[in-house]
Amino acid sequence: PHTISPEVMQRTEAVPFFESLLQGDPEMSTAIAAIQTLMEFMNRNSAETVAELTSDLKGAMTELQTSDQSVASVASGCELFLRFITLTALDKPDFNECKQLLVERGQLYLQKAAQARQKIGKLGVPFIRDGATILIHSRSRVVLTLLKEAACCNKHCTVFVTESLPDRSGYIMQKSLQEAGIPAYVILDSAVGYIMERIDLVMFGAEGVVESGGIINKIGTYQMAVVAKAANKPVYAVAESFKFLRQYPLNQFEAPNKHKYTNPQPSDFSRHPLVDYTPPSYISLLFTDLAVLTPSAVSDELIKLYC
Amino acid sequence: MSDARQHLTDDLTDRIESFISSRQQKRLCSSYDVAHQTVDLARRIISQTRWSSACELVETLRTVGRWMSSAIPSETAMGNVMRRVLKIVRDEAAVSSDGKQNDPDDLHRMLTAQRASSDDLTVAHPNLKGAIIESIHELMEEIEISGHNISIQSLEHIHANEVVMTCGHSRTVEAFLKAAARKRKFHVIVAESAPSYQGQKMGKSLAEAGIETTLITDSAVFAMMSRVNKVIIGTHTVLADGGLKALNGAHALALAAHHHSVPVVVCAALFKLSPQFHCAYDQDTFNKIVGPHDVLPFAEGGVLSDVQVQNPVFDYVPPDLVTLFIFNTGGNAPSYVYRLLSEFYHPDDHDL
Repeated sequence: PHTISPEVMQRTEAVPFFESLLQGDPEMSTAIAAIQTLMEFMNRNSAETVAELTSDLKGAMTELQTSDQSVASVASGCELFLRFITLTALDKPDFNECKQLLVERGQLYLQKAAQARQKIGKLGVPFIRDGATILIHSRSRVVLTLLKEAACCNKHCTVFVTESLPDRSGYIMQKSLQEAGIPAYVILDSAVGYIMERIDLVMFGAEGVVESGGIINKIGTYQMAVVAKAANKPVYAVAESFKFLRQYPLNQFEAPNKHKYTNPQPSDFSRHPLVDYTPPSYISLLFTDLAVLTPSAVSDELIKLYC
Repeated sequence: MSDARQHLTDDLTDRIESFISSRQQKRLCSSYDVAHQTVDLARRIISQTRWSSACELVETLRTVGRWMSSAIPSETAMGNVMRRVLKIVRDEAAVSSDGKQNDPDDLHRMLTAQRASSDDLTVAHPNLKGAIIESIHELMEEIEISGHNISIQSLEHIHANEVVMTCGHSRTVEAFLKAAARKRKFHVIVAESAPSYQGQKMGKSLAEAGIETTLITDSAVFAMMSRVNKVIIGTHTVLADGGLKALNGAHALALAAHHHSVPVVVCAALFKLSPQFHCAYDQDTFNKIVGPHDVLPFAEGGVLSDVQVQNPVFDYVPPDLVTLFIFNTGGNAPSYVYRLLSEFYHPDDHDL
């Protein structure tokens, strides 16, 4: 529920608001939290023209991207919001009416985006055979939704999760899966090659989907994809449409440093990157809330949106 | 579903039922005939049933499509043609109401919160029926000349003194090779494709057209592959990821070609393009298993109780083994198939 709050939100308040949203609802996606923060910022902004509003919002976006949360998702959420502002026809003479329109449209978009995970679950379930052995990487809420949906459809799968250092979030994923009644086993990150012969399919979420159809995800994803390709196993990436990014990295080092490291500085090899880039040739299909896409279809979707 | 069926006249219901039973009785029949008859059926439904808005028509067509697809799931051409017809109906409805093309970009539409395209369909238009029937006639013509459109591209792909390999009997590939043979001299190796031995029929037909043909067993495919310049095959269905649902033996042929870096060219008409993905990597849902008497005749009596015999009809060929698709609209890479899907089918119709 939005109320026009009297006090103006400052740029510096953006990050604390964002982080409080995430803490309040652990199921919320970071991109959605970013969009909600920006909407709140826009609501409580004192600008009188669209140009001033846009420049204030850009300031808030830069602030948001300095936070520690998965930066690729935040970046895509922010870009999408900016695009949303420029697309909405703002030809009303009264600025407050324009703002009202923006706020309404924003709420509508957020409602649709909230259903994204459910849609993906329904689209992805036919690809999971009853009795399949699935390998997943680290902790991903979309993948969890998909696996729970499969369990509801009476498909009994066995899941292997990588431990996923440095934050060992594989254990959290294992716990969530076991609570849903799905047998899950944690394996070492280095055991991916060892376990691959027993796997039927590999699945991971994404923090960002780039223009080439590749994905940016927790470090270790690329390794898993290469081993899966060598063993001829299908690799499915699961991501909502608001994670599509307008970037085209050609190799690992081209993936922007601000995504890889918190508090980016020129990288020397003493610090460990948090994410890596998986090229589209290693991904069989992407499950998104738009449709099941081949990697080559991603750039078309991005063009439709941004051009 | 029964509400929409009531819109159909008795004559139409009879036609649909006889169409379905004629397909069920034959083991395999040509996709071209299926596609042609489906368009004819669709045309009759559009002209003979009473409908006031595009929305009702779409519902009726979808019901019929679902009915036919569930009766014979392996015959994908029926569903594909129905989806083409549905896209035509939706496009014509959008054009007559908005004057512009109906463009389903979900991401864009979600952001600008435009009204859904279904709103456009509930409005009645007087000229809609005529416009749709005209487009259906164009679709019928396109299907009728699809084989010809594929054959005229053959000269770009087959050069003098080349060795071409194919397997089984595909009418499309047969016409393709015969069209090239009128101007070029080349050599064809045909794999006989057990247990149906359709390859033998193909070899005979090509030889009668004056093409130098060699017939080989399926097991000799890898051995002969090093001398082959390109592999040209037909397929039953082209799947949404660019993979193939082809007759058995195609995957082995494609793997042998991949090993020797021989390009694999697939000739297929557009009505074979399906928006479905190859979902489960096991045979139960994907394949059609027919009677085993071709593999192990019943005359072999004694051993039958000890042995399980399977005779699958189809093979899945993954998209990275296919080099080029030759559709009636031109040549395309497997990674481009998604684009053709969005051009010819509406996303709401992917699941009829």
